[in-house]
Amino acid sequence: MRRVSIVQGEFHVVSEPDVVITTLLGSCVAACLQDPVARVGGMNHFLLGEPGADAPVGPADMQRYGVHAMELLINAMMQRGAQRSRLRGHLYGGANIIAGLGGIGSSNAAFARNFMETEGIAIGRCELGGVQARKVEYMPFEGRVRSTSVAEAPLLPRKVRPAPALAVAGDVELF
Amino acid sequence: MPAASAIKVMVVDDQTSMRAMIRRTLQDLGFKDIRDKAGPVEALAAIKADRVHLIISDYNMPDMDGLQFLEAVRADPVIGKTVFIMLTGSADKEVVQKAAALGVNNYVVKPFAPAALKEKIERVFGELA
Repeated sequence: MRRVSIVQGEFHVVSEPDVVITTLLGSCVAACLQDPVARVGGMNHFLLGEPGADAPVGPADMQRYGVHAMELLINAMMQRGAQRSRLRGHLYGGANIIAGLGGIGSSNAAFARNFMETEGIAIGRCELGGVQARKVEYMPFEGRVRSTSVAEAPLLPRKVRPAPALAVAGDVELF
Repeated sequence: MPAASAIKVMVVDDQTSMRAMIRRTLQDLGFKDIRDKAGPVEALAAIKADRVHLIISDYNMPDMDGLQFLEAVRADPVIGKTVFIMLTGSADKEVVQKAAALGVNNYVVKPFAPAALKEKIERVFGELA
């Protein structure tokens, strides 16, 4: 059994048995997607963006981060043989752990649910919201997933990595 | 100064959410005639039947990728000169170079801010009114 641990901003895709992907979630969301026919699956772990005095993140920006995070995971799965029409998934996270963070967990959760509906991806388990951190263990090949509450919140996740800066211009200048 | 409202656009991306987001961004920039398709095959048929001025296409798509799509557009005697802007991932520098060789007009790295898309469009069409 191989274990792969991912943190915020990462994703991992597997197409072989006996691999478990794990992550620890607070207000972030993890989508566990699978193509049960190709037996390809993967998990991501994302935060849409944190509202802050110096760098306010508007709803439109948050949407962009989330769509991008989901696209990276889905594209990587499709490169391993998954088909978009066969995808299904589970959603975890989106807890509101720290009061005063403006319900960022709820925003993440709402985005994730909305995304799955827009893309027509069936949602299996959906454990979103609440006030407790979660540990998620996902075996993509087998299609098994487990979530446990973590009593002692390890969060705020150590200095969280800020959401990726939106490129204003690419760094390969050809034109 | 071209009016954004006079430019017909075709958006091609296999992800519904991405098409919706690009559509909203273009609407905010003043574009009015925006069509979209989930893949290059349908998009090619649509723009051959009803031409557009600008194609904004993702690179990473399952049946035909953005480079193959660009090549097909450039090879067509009728729609061959349509402005083509490609959306790429941050790690796709090789893709950008290949696209440049195939005659892409510009490219935008995902995730992008509305200002980035506007700037790339304006570099081709001139400042939008």
